Amino acid sequence: MNKQMYDLCKWVLETAGKAGAKDLRVSLGKSRFVEIQYRDRKPEIIKQATTLQMGIDFFVAGRYSSQNTCDLRKDALKEFISDAVSTTKLIAEDPYRTLPDPKYYKGQSGIDLKIADASIDDLSAEQKHTIVKTAENAAWSAGGDKIVTVEADFNDEFGESVTLTSNGFSGYSSSTGFSVGVSVSVRDDDNRRPEAGDYAESHFHKKLANPETIGANAARKALAKLGAKKITTATLPIIIENRHAHRIISGFFEALDGRNIYRKQSFLADKKGQKIGSEKFILVDDPLIPEGMGSRLYDGDGFAAKKRTIVEAGVLKDFYIDWYYSRKLGCEPTSGSTGNMIVPAGARSVDEIIKDLGKGILITDFLGGNSNPTTGDFSVGIFGQYFEDGKIVHPVSEMNIADNHLKFWHKLAECANDPWFYSDWRTPSMVFNDVVVSGV
Amino acid sequence: MDRIDRRTFLKATTAAGGAIIAAPVLFDGWLTFADTGKTGYFEKEFGITDALCKKVLGQALSKGGDFADLYFEHTISNSLGLEDKKVDRASTSVNLGVGIRTVKGDQVGFGFTQELTEKSMMAAAAMAATIADGSATPVAGKFASAKMSDYFPLMGTKPTPLAPRLSLVESTAGKCFARSSYVIKTIARFGEGRKRIMIVTSDGVKAEDLLPGGALTCMVTVEKDGRKEQFWFSRGGRRDFSYYTDDIAKEVAEGVVDGAVMLLDAVAVPAGEMPVVFAPGESGVLFHEAVGHGFEADFNRKKTSIYSTMMGQKVAEPMVTVVDDGTWPNARGSINFDDEGTPSQKTAIVENGILKSYLHDRISAKHYGLLSTGNGRRESYAHYPIPRMRNTYILPGPNKPQEIIESVKKGIYIEDVSNGQVNIGQGDFAFYVAQGRLIEDGKLTAPIKDVNIMGSGPKLLRDITMVADDLKLGWSGTSTCGKDGQLVPVDAGMPTVLVRSLTVGGTKKRGA
Repeated sequence: MNKQMYDLCKWVLETAGKAGAKDLRVSLGKSRFVEIQYRDRKPEIIKQATTLQMGIDFFVAGRYSSQNTCDLRKDALKEFISDAVSTTKLIAEDPYRTLPDPKYYKGQSGIDLKIADASIDDLSAEQKHTIVKTAENAAWSAGGDKIVTVEADFNDEFGESVTLTSNGFSGYSSSTGFSVGVSVSVRDDDNRRPEAGDYAESHFHKKLANPETIGANAARKALAKLGAKKITTATLPIIIENRHAHRIISGFFEALDGRNIYRKQSFLADKKGQKIGSEKFILVDDPLIPEGMGSRLYDGDGFAAKKRTIVEAGVLKDFYIDWYYSRKLGCEPTSGSTGNMIVPAGARSVDEIIKDLGKGILITDFLGGNSNPTTGDFSVGIFGQYFEDGKIVHPVSEMNIADNHLKFWHKLAECANDPWFYSDWRTPSMVFNDVVVSGV
Repeated sequence: MDRIDRRTFLKATTAAGGAIIAAPVLFDGWLTFADTGKTGYFEKEFGITDALCKKVLGQALSKGGDFADLYFEHTISNSLGLEDKKVDRASTSVNLGVGIRTVKGDQVGFGFTQELTEKSMMAAAAMAATIADGSATPVAGKFASAKMSDYFPLMGTKPTPLAPRLSLVESTAGKCFARSSYVIKTIARFGEGRKRIMIVTSDGVKAEDLLPGGALTCMVTVEKDGRKEQFWFSRGGRRDFSYYTDDIAKEVAEGVVDGAVMLLDAVAVPAGEMPVVFAPGESGVLFHEAVGHGFEADFNRKKTSIYSTMMGQKVAEPMVTVVDDGTWPNARGSINFDDEGTPSQKTAIVENGILKSYLHDRISAKHYGLLSTGNGRRESYAHYPIPRMRNTYILPGPNKPQEIIESVKKGIYIEDVSNGQVNIGQGDFAFYVAQGRLIEDGKLTAPIKDVNIMGSGPKLLRDITMVADDLKLGWSGTSTCGKDGQLVPVDAGMPTVLVRSLTVGGTKKRGA
């Protein structure tokens, strides 16, 4: 616990109480970060700063407002709190707005999430520059004379947050993050300059992936985009690469949100307990995985974090209902926050699956698009590799997939054995049959 | 409802670094700045004198560099929202800080602090200075306030209260329910912000401004025979509250309800390549994505844009002129000067089909030996400026809208789009059709929805074959462009335009 931050939050609780707000939640976040970016072997950006941000949720006389400020001088804050209390009293009553029942705060796990690297300050500026340079050099070596430009970066961040509520919740979390990324532009025959990148991140700098691998992967991915073209509109199997699978799942996910359910903007509102996908569709939310990028001990309401199964063998099991919308919907709250979203990996590699499928598209990136949470319709641009006879034939671009989530998840045929660990979405590559892919 | 006739005035007290506490003013429940004067704010409220700026800039250039700049910001944003007919949620956000940048060629050192004290600013400046490693560069002897136009004058000098804003949101929601019995849910929001900025550069420029912004936004869900659809609509810009009359509330309610009801009859779109007609206004986002980003000079300086070798070449038919305009009165993307202190301007990117100019910040302008076009923009003091669009649109052409629609035998007509994205290097873009219709035998027929449109930027420009005389800006008041993790307000517009062929990402094979 950072005592200085805790004391300031405690002071806000007391000050607000004196100003007429007995019920409130105060959160204070602090972040210290460094960003080093190189382009073409010289530093392009060096950025470093520390930020503080305070958020206060007021529940005053049955009314609610949320306030944010980074001006944390006590005199300014005192005025800010007093103004906020006055404004809150002027809006309409909302009987559903209260602090959560404290019983949901209980049962917080005592597990060490292993998300903070105590040795973050041991990494010198010189070492950080070396990581970037190593990653960039590897890209140049792997990319050869097709390369137009290479951008490489290193970031690290130390973040802390304290949350207190007037009805007894007290939470503290600290975490560190390290990332290395490389982006490579290559020259195509027709003046197009396809760009691709690779990155890795970790809570611990000693566990950060080898920068040489990241640089070489970035170059390889960029070269693989050379000569992209579109194919004739067809119904084909598709494989969505592990790191991008969340783009499609997140459209499905929006409809699980209690807010959208209440607002009648969810195609899943009446589907709990029903089959909404194939047997292969499994989605688990586990916030308590050590070193997970989405790991946390409590959620935005202060509820103790728990592992939950959201979709089991294609059957919808649970929603994301926070405290407020649970009261509006008249149901038990679950959680309004996500942790590590996991789609369990399968047994075969993407290469094996490609060989087996024969013909289809491996999607390696998305472009634009949208998903409609009310109807489940989605449409999104794709990049990738067209394969035939089990072999990659050429890259594709300017193409699109469109479907409806209530049909699409029944098409999930297999998950590959390559879960992506550098995100709070731990997804493997996912295979779908019979998808309309639009092109010429 | 309680009414508070209290007015909090600025309260002066001594802070750690000798700065003065500047409290925003609460006026009948609405937190804002006390007045609308554009200059002198940071000196009066925070003690930021020219002498202090000179000292901090000196620190930023203590190891050399071409120039350094300071970007002071104090922003107050408020919003009111409802989802059950009465406004039952309010939020306020206050942001305060200074960004300090040292530039050496195309290299940038950047630090920022949320404490406007000399000690904190000197530390951030020392951080920015690390990009260079030579001997100190001198700072200008004095700072001259930039002469500028005012493209978004504020009507009143005094703040207006909360109450009429509550009425606005509630009456808009009421108008939605009155408009159609299919409406089952209305969510309405009014957001308004005021951003005070001051830019001081080591080469002697000083620029101060107060930027207003806001929007009235509404989303509805409609249901008919078990089928549900949603739609949203908004109006806003760089306006003060006097803009939000009952007529605007009516326009928003009609726009959102009629849009949603139309979707109840929407049909699936055939997939594949076909001619596309863009309606005037909102659909200009297409050009923001497909054309504008590729012309931002940083992508060209770095040679990552497909347009980096096309300057002076023919990129479109002669009736196509594309501009990026920071001067359109009250438009969301308008600025009096950019975030580097360069006066705003209307920049012709493509003129009569010829590529004439990229969109420059100071770094790219120096790289190309040109003057900045006033496109150096940033999200906040926590970000360094990069070339960004303002209000981007195609100028009117020789055709009539009806003649363009009648020229298409089978295609689609796009009225509103969202979620545009471009792959700069490859030139590929995609955007999502929020509202549109089929064109069959030269007539607008069934509504369409939820479909993505794909294309190649350079090909799109070449494929514009007709341009009408009915230019409109979008005016949604909510258009926000993201680039390199920074969000800035923009607007886009266009006249009715025919594009010969684009890929439509439908769910049906053609003829199915």
